Amino acid sequence: MSKYRFAIDVQFKSSVRDPRGETIERVLRTEKGLPIYHLRLGKSIHLEVEAENEVEATRIVHQACEDLLVNPVVEEYEVRTL
Amino acid sequence: MKACIVVYPGSNCDRDVYHALKYVGVDVDYVGLDDSLDGCDLVVLPGGFSYGDYLRPGAVAAREKISHEVRRAADRGKLILGICNGFQILIEMGLLPGALLRNSSGRFVSKWVRLIVEDVDTPFTRNFKSREVIKLPVAHGYGRYFKTDSAIRVVFKYMDDVNGSDDMIAAVTTEDGRILGMMPHPERAYEKLLGGEDGLKLFTSVVEYLRRNAS
Repeated sequence: MSKYRFAIDVQFKSSVRDPRGETIERVLRTEKGLPIYHLRLGKSIHLEVEAENEVEATRIVHQACEDLLVNPVVEEYEVRTL
Repeated sequence: MKACIVVYPGSNCDRDVYHALKYVGVDVDYVGLDDSLDGCDLVVLPGGFSYGDYLRPGAVAAREKISHEVRRAADRGKLILGICNGFQILIEMGLLPGALLRNSSGRFVSKWVRLIVEDVDTPFTRNFKSREVIKLPVAHGYGRYFKTDSAIRVVFKYMDDVNGSDDMIAAVTTEDGRILGMMPHPERAYEKLLGGEDGLKLFTSVVEYLRRNAS
């Protein structure tokens, strides 16, 4: 068995309003004068999986996303290896 | 007739619900994570911040063993009431459709709000008048109802925009009306001493329904 490290980026779907992102974007633009638009505040989850191989480890990560980490009704996600 | 209140780590409206149910003469028990719901006619998931709202409100609680018991109770046709965080848990369990997202203002909202009773044909609302306007307190940061089912039965609507919910939805129920999820707190408004008693009719509705249908 080996250990594999992953990062999961969870983001709201574009159809879902993100008031936190909107507030941060507004402050950067109006208070800091930076030309920043379409800021979305998601979450990043880092974890380690114990598995026989990377394919199996990736399958387990996706299962964790579907079982708990991501709400498919309003969120989407991407998995990267670390 | 017995009611069970599920107490998750971080629930904080459990005792308010207990007193409200006692007030209308119901035999009430608290149940914990490893308990059973056998013999319960009404299951209440109270408000609070189960698991500190980690990940998403209700997400962790929805996957606890006791939540599987709640699902079994629902399958057996028992009445299920989720208030505030309890509503969030029911949605995370998939017993009710949609999602509850951070309020559009980005702020926690804690105040009395006016609601319209949209559906009086449920075990929880039979004592209200159709389109009656009532006042109940809300206290939530994640109450923006995101609608995914166009045919959803809406039970209460906000009269004023409280949190950016689709169609001003404050409460929804299943097709058979036996599972109710609501953001406002009826247990904080069941007698005048609390500042209002419009929540009382919800509890008397459900008690009378259960008494009438007791075998």
